[in-house]
Amino acid sequence: MTRLVDVPAQFDDRSFEQFAGAYVAAARDGERLLFDAHATEWASPYGLVGLLAAGQAARAAGSPERPLLTAPTHADVLTYWTRAGFFREAAELFEIHGKLPRVKPAEQSDVLLPVTPVRAAEDVHAVVSNIQQRSSAILASELALDPKATMGFAMALSEACQNIVEHAGTGGWVAVQAYHWRRKLARRVVVIAVADAGVGFRHSLEPTQSKRFGTRWGDAAALEAALVQGISRFRDPGRGQGLAGIRRYLARWDGKIAIRSGTARIAIVPKWDDDVPLQDGLPAFPGAQVLIIIPEQGSTTP
Amino acid sequence: MIQHIDVHAVLQESVSGVYADLVTRPTGRVVRERIERAMATAQDAVTVARIDFTGVGCIDYSCADEIVAKLLRDRRAVVVLSGISDGHREAIEPVLAGHGLAALIERRDGGGAGELEALGAPEAAAALLQDLVARRLAVRTSAGTIALTLA
Repeated sequence: MTRLVDVPAQFDDRSFEQFAGAYVAAARDGERLLFDAHATEWASPYGLVGLLAAGQAARAAGSPERPLLTAPTHADVLTYWTRAGFFREAAELFEIHGKLPRVKPAEQSDVLLPVTPVRAAEDVHAVVSNIQQRSSAILASELALDPKATMGFAMALSEACQNIVEHAGTGGWVAVQAYHWRRKLARRVVVIAVADAGVGFRHSLEPTQSKRFGTRWGDAAALEAALVQGISRFRDPGRGQGLAGIRRYLARWDGKIAIRSGTARIAIVPKWDDDVPLQDGLPAFPGAQVLIIIPEQGSTTP
Repeated sequence: MIQHIDVHAVLQESVSGVYADLVTRPTGRVVRERIERAMATAQDAVTVARIDFTGVGCIDYSCADEIVAKLLRDRRAVVVLSGISDGHREAIEPVLAGHGLAALIERRDGGGAGELEALGAPEAAAALLQDLVARRLAVRTSAGTIALTLA
């Protein structure tokens, strides 16, 4: 029997919880999954890498057959997903149903970095090298960021990707896009989305941190330890710099970071947003999913 | 003696040669180990190691920690960082402050030894400059700046 997982019509970090709930319910009995995106009208970079992570998790669950994916039927959506490099990665994970357009992943567009696999340190080098060439003009001219911020942006991206290499125990994906965020801010933003279906923060930190937290230990405590306290699973005193560095960068440019792992989600919420700082008891989606948003500079009153 | 170490060249030897960025901890580790090896195998005793970052694109926090902070903790020689851009400082400064460490940055305008500035934790920075002057490795110039005595 095949179990259905609906992909939301507007697939972003907010609707991801609906998707994660559907995934967890469908994956419960180990049957083959069908991810149905035929009615999806829009997906953020977070949605795209999150969908790949779900495919990765479904394959890791041990079903002998690849999960199915019904591609969006709307031509524009299909073209965008293709340009964003989604199907290039999805082809390895899913049996895809639907007619895919013959377009190349984006070279020059708002897609600053198409969906890109991150498995090893070498991939992070490639990501950082590519993004610097493509992002500096957009960051400076469209987001009005100081040219110096481009370097910090590459640093933040590098550290976000390294979380996969160092902690996930598997590969993951990153995507970077600039777009006009009408619904929330009515201004342009650059969004970094990173996702994997690996072991997650709690598992990664458990050997060194669970005793310290005692009965409080869980996904939420692990995220708090990593993002707020800068704690790493390594005993080396220099570890934990990455997320702390990302936080510093975002504080300077009024940005946002949200990390979801297991049953919890933590966010450093800027004034322009109304996200919840810490959520627990969410559907137990594997791995870690990171969202970073840097808004156009100037007044960011929602 | 002052030993000059070209980080960009070390990076090119350490990774595939096409990347100019110091990113990821494994890369930082390899680069630091090569620098340490170069310092250990120098023919004359190294008093000052001038670590030159000219040509290096981005440095992330992991590499700043793995290279700069660990070289400083090792204390084999006085470490002077040169060719440091504003972007490099952005990664190095908070990492040093987090460790309570300070590093010397050399600003060179056209050859020779340049002005020194201590970067990192304020107390460690002040102590570092004092120590350098006390050991006569650096002098306070008439302009009120500090410069290396060795060329």
